[in-house]
Amino acid sequence: MKRILTIVSGLVLSFALPAAILAHGATHAQHGGVVQMNGETLFELVRAPAGVSLYVTDEDEPVAASRMTARLSITVRGKRREVAMVAGRGNQFFARGLTLPQGASVGVMVINRASQARYGTTFAIR
Amino acid sequence: MQSDLMFKRALCAAVLAAMTLGSTAALAHGIWFAQRAKQLALIYGVGADDLDMVRRLPQVESVTAYDAEYHPINAVARIAGPIILIDADAQPTLVAAVMPYGVWSRVGDGEFEKKTLLEMPNATLSTKNIKYAVTIQGPLSKPIPALAGHGLQIVPVGAIPATLGTPLTYRVLYNGAPLAGARMINDMVNDPDAKEVLTGADGTVALPVRNQGLNVIRAVYDGPSDQPRLYRQIEHTATLAFTLAHAPE
Repeated sequence: MKRILTIVSGLVLSFALPAAILAHGATHAQHGGVVQMNGETLFELVRAPAGVSLYVTDEDEPVAASRMTARLSITVRGKRREVAMVAGRGNQFFARGLTLPQGASVGVMVINRASQARYGTTFAIR
Repeated sequence: MQSDLMFKRALCAAVLAAMTLGSTAALAHGIWFAQRAKQLALIYGVGADDLDMVRRLPQVESVTAYDAEYHPINAVARIAGPIILIDADAQPTLVAAVMPYGVWSRVGDGEFEKKTLLEMPNATLSTKNIKYAVTIQGPLSKPIPALAGHGLQIVPVGAIPATLGTPLTYRVLYNGAPLAGARMINDMVNDPDAKEVLTGADGTVALPVRNQGLNVIRAVYDGPSDQPRLYRQIEHTATLAFTLAHAPE
């Protein structure tokens, strides 16, 4: 009986562990940017000559940017400015011509237009 | 004669114990911030008791949010079904709330009633209660200042560590100044009955960070009454909430 229990426990564990490990999907950059996780939500900030992009993924599912608003709160040397991003394709938000200097603190706030649910994180630009 | 003296001493001890226990019971509940369905929620309760905050929302005096430089950000409390969520206009570094909780009095070890000394002149304990909550939602680039309206406030001294078990020093501020003798516990949610520790002469105490997740530190101080005709003290209950990230998955 004890042996059977041990085998069953082992089987349960062998199934449970991978599920736990994979619980929140990808945690790495998909677009060459920097990533911040907040729980199961992944934020990827990409700086490029044309501007700054933000990609948001929720437990491995790209969010629909068209259903969201996104805003950056950029603090540099004690001064904050707000930048509204526009929805791009898929889960991309974009701020054309925006540059983020080293040392900036960038708060990200994404709001679901329908539910008003907020998702956020803060990037430190290095 | 001797037994009479002993009886009086025992009676005095019992009254003191009852008053102490009464005080402990009165201060147990507080407000704090925690995540609910990925949203920032304002909680009222103690331990695992996550009580009805919607009913208490009218008592909330202020909800404020601050950016990385501790400049204010517009924030409001919103009823979302049975809970209260905080909607900030931008990603905050701090969010704070103040909730006066009325005047409560009782006689001996009787039930607390929402009455002042005018209504219960024989009360042995009569206290006005004020609850404060602060949460850290973003990386701190400089020390947290005393926040307007927060009579009692817990601030971390130094950086928030990355792993549980690491000591962290907290300073308790009363009207913006360090407070000696504030009663602290390290985890209001998971260990609400812990033995309280007191802040030292400089208003600080060092405690190991208890959880690799949500930490809710609580401080209590029984301050002087500003209306002695109505209540004998003001019980200030402050929480500081912050989270440590778990290991990457």
